[in-house]
Amino acid sequence: MQPGELPRTVLPEAARTAFVRMRGITKSFYGARANDGVDFTLQGGEIHALLGENGAGKSTLMNVLTGLYQPDSGEIAIEGHVRRIASPADAIEAGIGMVHQHFKLVPAFTVAENIHLGWNETPFRLDPASLAARTQALSDRFGLAVSPGARVADLSAGEQQRVEILRVLARGTRILVLDEPTAVLTPAEVRALFAALRAFRADGNAVILISHKLGEVLEIADALTVMRAGRSVATGSTAGASRSSLARLIIGDTAIPATVARNETDVPGAQAVPLALRGVSVRDHRGIALLDGVDLDVRAGEILGIAGVAGNGQRALSEVLTGCVRPDAGDVLLDGDASGPRGAREFADWGVGHIPEDRLRTALAADLPLGENAVLRDYRGDAAGSGPFLFPRRLARLARRIIDDAAVNLRDSRIPARNLSGGNQQRLVAERERRIASRVLVAAYPTRGLDVGAVAALHAGMQALRASGVGVVLISEEIEELLAQADRIAVLFAGRIAGILPVAQADAERLGLLMSGQVLPEPVS
Amino acid sequence: MRGFVVQRVPSVSGRVRNAAYAVSALVAVFVAGLLLAALGLHPLALGGSVLKQSLGSRFGVQDLLLLASPLVMCGLSVSLMLRVGLWNIGADGQFYVGAACAAGVALFGPHGSPLLVQITMGLAAMAGGALWIAVPALARLLLGTSEIIATLLLNFVARLGLDWLVTGPWRDPHGMAAAQTARIPDPLPKLPRDWHLGGLHWGLAVVLGLAALLAAAFRFTRWGFELRICGANRDTAAYAGMNVRRRLFQAMLLGGAIAGLGGMLELSGTVHRLQSGLSNGYGYVGIIVAVLAASSPLGCVFTGLLMALVLNAGLVLQTQGVPSSAALALTGLILLFAAIGERLAHYRIVPTRPVAGAGGVA
Amino acid sequence: MPFLKRRALLAGAAALPFLPRLARAASPLPAVAEKDAVIAFGHIGPVSDGGWSTTHHTGLLAAKKAYPAAKFLEVESIPVSADATRTFRQFVENGANMVFVSSEYGDLLSSVADDAPEVAFLECNGHHVSDNESWYYIQHWKVSYIIGVAAAKMSKSGKMGFVGSFPVPSVFGCANAFLLGARSVRPEATVQVILINSWFDPQAAAQAASALIQNGIDMIYTNLDDGSCLQVAAKAGIKCATWNTDMRAMGPDAYVTSLMLDWTQFYVDQIGARLAGRWAGDGHTLLPVGHGVDRDAWGRTVPPEVAAQADAVRTRIIGGWNPIQGEIRDATGKVRVPKGGSLDDIACYEWNWPVEGVVGLKAV
Repeated sequence: MQPGELPRTVLPEAARTAFVRMRGITKSFYGARANDGVDFTLQGGEIHALLGENGAGKSTLMNVLTGLYQPDSGEIAIEGHVRRIASPADAIEAGIGMVHQHFKLVPAFTVAENIHLGWNETPFRLDPASLAARTQALSDRFGLAVSPGARVADLSAGEQQRVEILRVLARGTRILVLDEPTAVLTPAEVRALFAALRAFRADGNAVILISHKLGEVLEIADALTVMRAGRSVATGSTAGASRSSLARLIIGDTAIPATVARNETDVPGAQAVPLALRGVSVRDHRGIALLDGVDLDVRAGEILGIAGVAGNGQRALSEVLTGCVRPDAGDVLLDGDASGPRGAREFADWGVGHIPEDRLRTALAADLPLGENAVLRDYRGDAAGSGPFLFPRRLARLARRIIDDAAVNLRDSRIPARNLSGGNQQRLVAERERRIASRVLVAAYPTRGLDVGAVAALHAGMQALRASGVGVVLISEEIEELLAQADRIAVLFAGRIAGILPVAQADAERLGLLMSGQVLPEPVS
Repeated sequence: MRGFVVQRVPSVSGRVRNAAYAVSALVAVFVAGLLLAALGLHPLALGGSVLKQSLGSRFGVQDLLLLASPLVMCGLSVSLMLRVGLWNIGADGQFYVGAACAAGVALFGPHGSPLLVQITMGLAAMAGGALWIAVPALARLLLGTSEIIATLLLNFVARLGLDWLVTGPWRDPHGMAAAQTARIPDPLPKLPRDWHLGGLHWGLAVVLGLAALLAAAFRFTRWGFELRICGANRDTAAYAGMNVRRRLFQAMLLGGAIAGLGGMLELSGTVHRLQSGLSNGYGYVGIIVAVLAASSPLGCVFTGLLMALVLNAGLVLQTQGVPSSAALALTGLILLFAAIGERLAHYRIVPTRPVAGAGGVA
Repeated sequence: MPFLKRRALLAGAAALPFLPRLARAASPLPAVAEKDAVIAFGHIGPVSDGGWSTTHHTGLLAAKKAYPAAKFLEVESIPVSADATRTFRQFVENGANMVFVSSEYGDLLSSVADDAPEVAFLECNGHHVSDNESWYYIQHWKVSYIIGVAAAKMSKSGKMGFVGSFPVPSVFGCANAFLLGARSVRPEATVQVILINSWFDPQAAAQAASALIQNGIDMIYTNLDDGSCLQVAAKAGIKCATWNTDMRAMGPDAYVTSLMLDWTQFYVDQIGARLAGRWAGDGHTLLPVGHGVDRDAWGRTVPPEVAAQADAVRTRIIGGWNPIQGEIRDATGKVRVPKGGSLDDIACYEWNWPVEGVVGLKAV
């Protein structure tokens, strides 16, 4: 057979209408079956949700479809023809395009340059004007608003995602695969994305949507497939499905963790304020204020929710609360004292844990083994060594214990952190930080990209910390999560605290008003 | 349809990598043999004399160890900086400056007990090497200037400065054709004669000790752990409360000091005079040593010996009538294969199974 | 330098000043059958340099012809570094009975020689001697003196230039004798020296020559290995004298002459002495004019009367006249050689101060 020629077989009539038909896909890594005889069918003109816990095999299946992995066995038929998708280039040729959770854009390039990067239709002679014009035309055609001349590094996550989708659609994609597309978006951006997806579907194309957000799935998907432990356990229409029925399918026969409710009881000593900000301002290197005169009390034994649209100072707030950044003005008070520890190490020693928003770039050294990531905080403690010395065996034992406590279901602590699923990564970070958070835990978007079970476990952990008298700062964009977990909710807007509501007085409407920068009709405490 | 695809594996175990090195070394030797045969020489006889004269004789082993010592020192210097994710292209310059500082102490410093003189020379050399890298280090940490370019350029400055010293103020008035300083009065003592390595000096022990010390520091100290985290992801290190800048600065200064100490050992142990040929590109070979060793200090001892063997083989080949340019090309070939092997270790060939139902068409 | 003084005395006492001399303080090494003999040559540069290393390679080829049964080893481009020691040791390991090195390696050679007392070592332009080691060189200053006579006659301005390598005695001797020769016929002549810190760096040599020409110099003398100064001189329309080999093809109209080297007879004689069991160390040889070092046939633009005047000086020198006569002042004006005095061969070999009129060299 000539290279480039793909084997084709005509399938029975029943399958011919299917856009994608994957049958008996099996794929193993290091002896573990990530996909075990998976069947998956996608019809034209549908948005198909792919559900499952972290590590259920969703990403593997999609990587097989897009040519990143070769299946150990099984076949893929595209529009009725069996094809071997040997590379991402084959997938693009077959009309399959994937937008990954972590964007694959070049930050220093403009939007137009990113769109045209590695595209065989890119004109040989490049001039910025023609690239911009072509990009604008694409933007209009697919209803995805982008500014061609802007540098990607300057864009928000939502804008970057639009560029990424446009980049994929421009290459003639008819089957669009989206991995957790809404994880980094504001509600308004989610609406815009869904509108674009519906328009795409209306043209007869199809979308595969990997998501953990069951509400969104029910809102936009026509069909769904649920995966569990490498197998496809259910498939069908979304009609008649409910959140609870889906959650049961995803988690399986094991008991569904009840949504962790807020612990209403007061914790002894709850009036203490271990960590407080007084008039804190933080500026970036250009001198633009990220935080502007913030006053905030973190009380012992409470969960303080921080609501707000991403990009309103959340990162600076979490960094200043954990000593990673020193304020340009104002004081960070530890037990009311502004002259206490300074710097991330001193804060950690004092008892501040920190789950940062970017797992793979900040919380973990992605290329280093699981074990070393597990002891990133504890390597300085007496359990790991003595004086300047470190005892590797003790360190390994400690790592093992942290990994086990984090319920990371991987036996080999030498695997690079990068190769863990997102849920496992987050569980490891959460456990590691919980260990040192004797006074305060600052968690930024801790449930982003996690499945139902992992979210429940994380919430339970935070409630347990609260009950033990630790002050927890929960930064989230999901109002439902905040309303369910927090005792008080502060809203961050444009680097300022727009208001702080006790959860009893908070509801989605009032928080929404504050998040959009409007003043509440009545004063709140 | 049966075919094969090549897949990239993101990380490989040390065993796989070592196997890849071994295979690529064999391939390189085989290709080198073909080339020698093409030159009309007898590759097997040449290979035999390379082995016999490098490993089979007392002098050969001594020479190998003597040549390996500066290579390992430069390799350790590069390794230490690679540990924090920085490239030290300037080990050659630090080596020269270290040697010059040591020579200054030896020639013009006070004469005391031999041990004291050696220690003073070593300290001066380390200070010189550290000082030489301090400028690129500060530029890197304060201004973000690439340490690769800065350290590289300072090599030329060091070399020219040394040329000036040995042809100018420090020149040996008794020299004829060679530009060099006078012989240093108190060289590093040789190992005891009855150890059968009588041509070797105590510098070898310093090299091995330093490699072991660094390996232990990497493995058994919190400092070594922090270096590793700083090298893997500086944001993570800062987040975990490590003082990243201080660790980078320490690694750079220490790297410079180690290369400088290497210059002192070469001066005091082997050459005994400061001359512009003191480092025959050792700093650059040190980069290869460190990369082949995957920046492991103990690995550097092995790859340093390996590089010494390869370079020595070049010399042996020349005495056997192979032109110097051909010997150089063969040396380069072996290194090229080693580098390719390291890359190829990341790939494996996977047979593709026939897709069910597709057999009839193919 | 006590040992050199001793050597100088021995040299002065030797009977035949213009033939290769061997001081016989040490006992000879035992004879070697030609078919068992291994003779090694180590070169400082590539044998294809067309200059210094080529002349030694030519000597080796002649020796090969003279002793066809002997085995010859040859390594080129040996750096002055610890690599040199390893290379010389390889010679010994390969059974060499005799090792010639074409430049000064100093301790790098003598440390090997001390460990191999049965092997003869000869170091060109060296100064170390032992029972199995001696050195050899040429009386190049005398030829430079002859070239200086012709150069001064041909220069319009009397401002001449010299491009050299390092501030080492062979450069001092060369530039000094060149000037003394020039001043013998033109007392106001000067020599501007530029050193390029290398024996072989065509680009730097060409830059140095250009710089001299821009300073108004119309006659260049160089003892570098290559002919790039001659090429620059030819382009600028001035004259140039070189070293090592006949380089006239690179600039026939600019070519004055060259200081020609011929090691053939010396190498054949030395190897013969070694094979016969007559070779002993602890001595030195300075090949005289006409026997290993000489001027080349004069260039085609050298006027016959100039050539004749210079050749008359050459005849006197071959006849035994020492041209380096007092009174000689150094560049600071101090009298170094009083009137009536002279510098003997060893003093010229070790010359390390510039004579008055040589600019750009500093006394060591």
